[in-house]
Amino acid sequence: MSEEIWIEVGSTDSIEEEDLIRFDHQDKTFCVYRLTDGFYATDGICTHEAVHLEDGLVMDDEIECPMHQGIFNIKSGEALSPPACEDLKTYPVKVDNDKIFIKID
Amino acid sequence: MKNNVIILGGGQAGIFAAREIRQNSSESNIKILGEENLLPYERPPLSKDFLLDKKNEEDLYFHSTDVLKNENIEFENISINKVDFENKKLFAKNDDVYSYDSLLISTGSENKKLSLDNNLKNDVYYLRNLEEAKKIKEIVSNKNKITIVGGGFIGLEIASSLSQLQKKVTVIEIGNQLMGRIIPKQIADIVQNTHIEHGNEIILNKQIEKITKKNGIYEILLNDNSLIETDFIIAGIGSTPSVKLFENTNLKLDNGIVTNQFCETSIKDVYAAGDVSNFYHPLYERNMRLESYQHAQNHGICAGKNIAGVKTEYTSIPWMWSDQFNLNLQLTGICDDYDEIIERGNDINNGVIHFFLKNKIIRGACGLGIAGKVGRDIRITSKLTEKNTIVDKQILADQNQKLNKLIQK
Repeated sequence: MSEEIWIEVGSTDSIEEEDLIRFDHQDKTFCVYRLTDGFYATDGICTHEAVHLEDGLVMDDEIECPMHQGIFNIKSGEALSPPACEDLKTYPVKVDNDKIFIKID
Repeated sequence: MKNNVIILGGGQAGIFAAREIRQNSSESNIKILGEENLLPYERPPLSKDFLLDKKNEEDLYFHSTDVLKNENIEFENISINKVDFENKKLFAKNDDVYSYDSLLISTGSENKKLSLDNNLKNDVYYLRNLEEAKKIKEIVSNKNKITIVGGGFIGLEIASSLSQLQKKVTVIEIGNQLMGRIIPKQIADIVQNTHIEHGNEIILNKQIEKITKKNGIYEILLNDNSLIETDFIIAGIGSTPSVKLFENTNLKLDNGIVTNQFCETSIKDVYAAGDVSNFYHPLYERNMRLESYQHAQNHGICAGKNIAGVKTEYTSIPWMWSDQFNLNLQLTGICDDYDEIIERGNDINNGVIHFFLKNKIIRGACGLGIAGKVGRDIRITSKLTEKNTIVDKQILADQNQKLNKLIQK
């Protein structure tokens, strides 16, 4: 069994509500979101074409790709609107002492 | 009573309408009649990722046959050549007759053609469907010098792709700037410079006088007597709505099929959606015809609701994009009816946006940036437009201030 790896992203006040930040770790890019009910994380690159979702708009529980307006559910990663059709990978998030951590497999 | 719905046209508007009808009505019979023997597919990649081999045919389909089967949506490849609106019948070339209770026309649009001598009619290529994209891809693989006639979105996207395939590309545009129909000159000029930096030649303000063919090579004579030698010619000079079938009927036509905000045409139980429809937009209080991915989808969905009896106004704010090299260009709203322009940003790495305002309200915006740099602001602009928000112009002009602030006010 592999060991759980929690990576520190930053402090909770580094993300405004209904917004996101990009977080790069090794060769991977993630997006970490602050929604009204907590923090969430997904892959940082759209599944449709390789563009960073950090420039996208967060609306309620959804992130919209800035390039072609494909829409994903932030909590489940589900692709909701074409041209996005492949789901976005999501990651567990925890907050400890006002710091955000994401679990990367 | 069952509602027999026929959707004439197997593109994006048609398939999204079909699925929306099914969502609202389990009883209706839904049949799509498509002229291409292909399930509905995405067209934007044809000029870009498909030519570049980053996407193949299978990647383009909106839905598999399984989805259509599960939702009980029939698709038939057939060409209709006569419509009898009075008796609600469509006649196919093979004499088959299709009866409907409700008809959605989503026949799309077709490419304008260059006027050429008859012997050269088959020598100039156009790009709208998958078959044409396949042909172009195959032929350019052993050509070097390619000329594109028309400096609009489609021509420039092809120019960008072919440049990335190491072709020597020349673009001939009749106007004094690229994409002149809808893009502000300052933004068009940045796009032009990007093409030039990648080795493409851009010729503005020139018209073609004559094309001749000698030993498989074309000579294009321009109106300043200059001559371009080229191995292959592709034209993208605009499109017209596909309405030939309805020209001698009672259906009201004016730059496409005239529809109201509910996708209804002048004939009862006949609807139109997508490129073919010149629709009334309640927010802008005028008719417009749009050729874009987002519009085809949303308008199809709206028509589907109305056909299924869920009366729904079409209020979607227009939005479209073009990708050329690493640039992403986006337009929202309407950019031809304004009394003030506000500029945000001056560096494409962070995005450049021009907002078009009338009576302090944003009517539309055009943005250009590397990859998705303008996406969020353009999307927020759509929302501000939708709500007729009077905006703080200083925030609009200051890239250090987030536009979200304007929505929350």
